[in-house]
Amino acid sequence: MAPVITLNAVDYAIIAGYILVMVLVGYSLKKYMKTGEDFFLSGRSLPGWITGLAFLSANLGALEVIGMVANSAKYGIATVHFYWVGAIPAMVFLGIFMMPFYYGSKVRTVPEYLKLRYNEATRGLNAISFAIMTVLMSGISLYAMALLFKIMLGWPLTGSILFAAVVVLLYVFWGGLSSSIYNEVIQFFLIWLGLLPIVFLGLKEVGGFAGFAAKLQETLLHSVKYLGTSNNPLGVDWFGVVMGLGFVLSFGYWTTDFLVVQRALASKNLNSARMTPIIASFPKMLVPLIVVIPGLVALLVLPEFSQAALPTADYNSALILLMKHYLPNGLLGLAITALLASFMSGMAGNVTAFNTIWTYDIYGSYIKKGQPDSHYLKVGKYATVFGIAISVGTAYIAQSFPNLMDYMQLIFSFFNAPLFATFLLGMFWKKATGWGGFWGLLVGILTAAGHFILYKAGVLTYHSDMAANFYQAIWAWLADFVVTIGVSLFTAKRDPKELVGLVFGLTPKPKADARWYARPAVWGTLAIIIAIILNVIFW
Amino acid sequence: MNDKIETPVAEKGMSQGHVLDLKLPIGWLLSAYGALLTVYGLLTKKEMYAISLGYNLNLIWGILMLAIGGGFLLTAFLKKDKRAR
Repeated sequence: MAPVITLNAVDYAIIAGYILVMVLVGYSLKKYMKTGEDFFLSGRSLPGWITGLAFLSANLGALEVIGMVANSAKYGIATVHFYWVGAIPAMVFLGIFMMPFYYGSKVRTVPEYLKLRYNEATRGLNAISFAIMTVLMSGISLYAMALLFKIMLGWPLTGSILFAAVVVLLYVFWGGLSSSIYNEVIQFFLIWLGLLPIVFLGLKEVGGFAGFAAKLQETLLHSVKYLGTSNNPLGVDWFGVVMGLGFVLSFGYWTTDFLVVQRALASKNLNSARMTPIIASFPKMLVPLIVVIPGLVALLVLPEFSQAALPTADYNSALILLMKHYLPNGLLGLAITALLASFMSGMAGNVTAFNTIWTYDIYGSYIKKGQPDSHYLKVGKYATVFGIAISVGTAYIAQSFPNLMDYMQLIFSFFNAPLFATFLLGMFWKKATGWGGFWGLLVGILTAAGHFILYKAGVLTYHSDMAANFYQAIWAWLADFVVTIGVSLFTAKRDPKELVGLVFGLTPKPKADARWYARPAVWGTLAIIIAIILNVIFW
Repeated sequence: MNDKIETPVAEKGMSQGHVLDLKLPIGWLLSAYGALLTVYGLLTKKEMYAISLGYNLNLIWGILMLAIGGGFLLTAFLKKDKRAR
């Protein structure tokens, strides 16, 4: 099959420039990596704007961008729920209410918090499931990248996989979390600069928002209006959107996934750590601009998405086809580089989260305890090599899954959705006990698995896969919540003295910064207000 | 937004932090891209831009990126200058 896009020397120069800068940044960070904290947590030294942009970009992977453009072509403006309902409230909640316990308790990882708050077993369960999840995710992003570049540019599959793996290995091995975070910040700028030309040209060609209104179906143009029943493009009713996406899945992901929380832990002080997700929430609100508009434009300008072709259209190709449709060589190279950067940073993010969890929560807790810091630094570096090697392996396993986005969502609803109940009770209910936490989490994961089996067997039916996914998350969360409370009532309570700094009500409130403009609560409230206004505008 | 808000770091024995100023690599990368696209935009013919609705996007976007990259470099150098004094 002939490649969809042909690149020239200028495009390749742009791609090469990015690789060169990444490797150089990694190399120049090498001399700062003296302790475990340097390597795993950037020495807790980064300013809020850097960790904030990295917090956002760690999530804005290429799969996410391509998938959200596809969703927009399929579901229309309702895709904004993934941002304004499904992200902003959770990010603000993390910054204002949860970060004082994460950063304030000086834990290095999310499982470590679970150990302090609950018990060793809860930590073990979370650490092992998270480690498996991250290498799977990193393998998926590696495979998706190689597949995309094969179809689009004709690059060989194995060549892309190995090349990306080696580049990521070099810069993470040298610069640890700092390399990964710096790459994410650079990626943030590249994604906007690479995709905005498509947005402008698309709006110009279809005649702006008035053009959408005139030419598109009414149901594709509203975010909330058709959510009364599940008879809308999403196939989900308002309860599923608000509870499943807005509450359980979104809070589960943004507040407990170590991949994003680790960025905030790298901040230089508590105020920066709290500001990290809140700073990220502002550009996050604007992301629909670069995914929803291209999705709608694709419906109007691409012959592949005309009314006649629609039933068989491959929505995931929408973004790539738009790049081919609008971008001349030169800018094309920039857009490809933006995708490459977000694939690589997605992988690097997973690898840095993996090596940290592996070193602190698995190796340092169960395999070899009490070694000097230099030993763990070395282990972390080799865990990077090991993690990337497994990712390359899982990349080939991922080949056998037909729909990668569904697969990723599924993994999240298994592990993150119940975990949020464990955290909510852990941080805000002082009577939750160690074993309550463990059994709640385990039953939550099993509930998700049980729901999945019943849905696949046809016992449970929903209007769409997305609805099934949202309700699966709700059930898993509820099971965890109920079981944690139930078991806690019958098991030994923790001494409240041990829980100081870990639980709301037993912890002194962080002192508010004297300057109002430096307070997380002020910016968080502003973010929520803007998100509400945006929802009303696109109602 | 809040990188100027610095409260003293409480922990003792912490590392010096990473003094690499990220504004520099971002600034250099974007400026280099901007310069390359601008020159390429000047050298290429109009026909190439039929797909981008007739706009010479390489030129326009190149100049924009030069400005953004330059902005990053400028703030980085001004900050350094201030620190040196």
